[in-house]
Amino acid sequence: MRQIDGGGHCIVPRRIMVCLGAYLMVDLLAVYLWSSAGSAFSIQTPSDNTATLPLTAMAGLGLWLCLRVLRAFPAGAPLRRAWSLIAFAAAAQLVWGVLSQLFDSNWVLNSLLWTASAPSTLLGHIRLGALIAGGPVRLAALAGALFAVLRTLRKFGFWGRPRATDWAMCGIVCLFALCRFAEALAAYFAGAQMSMEEWASLAGLPILCMLFVEAIFLGQAVIRMGSGPVSKCWSAFVWGIFSIGFADVALWLIPHYCRSPLGMVESLAGFVTTAVFALGPAYQLTAQRWARTAGAPQENLATHASAVAR
Amino acid sequence: MHPSIAALIAFSDGEANAKQSRRIATHLSRCENCSDRLLLVRSEKDELSAGPAITVRHSRKGLDGVLAAMSNWRKGSAASELRVRLREQIEMYFGSQAVMVVERPGMPAEELLGRTSELLEVFLGPAGAESAIDDAFGGLHPGASEVRR
Repeated sequence: MRQIDGGGHCIVPRRIMVCLGAYLMVDLLAVYLWSSAGSAFSIQTPSDNTATLPLTAMAGLGLWLCLRVLRAFPAGAPLRRAWSLIAFAAAAQLVWGVLSQLFDSNWVLNSLLWTASAPSTLLGHIRLGALIAGGPVRLAALAGALFAVLRTLRKFGFWGRPRATDWAMCGIVCLFALCRFAEALAAYFAGAQMSMEEWASLAGLPILCMLFVEAIFLGQAVIRMGSGPVSKCWSAFVWGIFSIGFADVALWLIPHYCRSPLGMVESLAGFVTTAVFALGPAYQLTAQRWARTAGAPQENLATHASAVAR
Repeated sequence: MHPSIAALIAFSDGEANAKQSRRIATHLSRCENCSDRLLLVRSEKDELSAGPAITVRHSRKGLDGVLAAMSNWRKGSAASELRVRLREQIEMYFGSQAVMVVERPGMPAEELLGRTSELLEVFLGPAGAESAIDDAFGGLHPGASEVRR
């Protein structure tokens, strides 16, 4: 049996981690400078534009990795449906990135700004489309995928009872969803008109709660596996869901309790979530490459390893 | 004086010297008891000589037994090595704790192979699973392929 060179094969997850680390450091440095300068200047507007390309590129990378992983599962394979839904969720995330970040911002690559002044209704539709794609649609696809994965994991005995801390985290997110609904209902009964965007945003909350429950069960299954690339793949999805939930909670709490550059926090949360989700298929692809290399003839091993490294 | 049993054996084997042989022969012609003892020595000697012949007559069965034992030992050794390699495969792709979930105590190598193949096929896809299982069998004793069948 061959020994696998794990370092050479983990190149994609490592690069994603490096990008994530660099992005976090730059953003945190910017927030630090902003707070040191006594909030004298605004970093809201520039942060929207600077976040556009990395976020959309990371969403594109995530979709590409999902499609690569999907090729290994032929029709009828137990996890084919799960990976199809994950790829669909990644596509929805990319659509959200393109619509909300590229076409809904005042920056040079926005083609709507090149021709004529874009009608406000078109921008409204784009914003709504992005919200629906990146919100309820994406979350529902992920929930369906994780349900299929959990069923498969249970069949193999990877099943554990969540701890009290897991239920506490889940409770925080459910409480947040209830607060959001209560806020929306209070505004509705006070006579405020609720926009379609707000409805779309609220529609994603019950699915997010369901995803959190799935994530804590998936987390227990991952703990029962260990630390191989397959378990790291599902672990990335767990952390991705946690980051969506906590980002939503943070973005709701920040305006209530402190002054902080909300646009920057939003773009930072969006990038972190997208990068963590991209780590899932990256680790799965790593596992599939390990298997392929293990089965490759000995004389072709060096060639294959260099091809993978490229 | 009666000759000792050792002297009778030496006489029977023709290993006694001439003087001793003459003396024993003279005694045997007169002593019926010593003649009977000499006959007993010769019959025992004949039985001892016939012993290896009996073993040879049944040697085919003995060799088969030895070969079967060797084959069983090799199969057991190959199954044990295969079990170790399957554990390594599970550990490599899933993690060390996954081995404890997949392998139950006292599980035969064939069953572990089936469960590992199924697990790898579900999570890596059929091609990946086949490569991983081929890798587990790589360089293993031919007896292990019987486990695979």
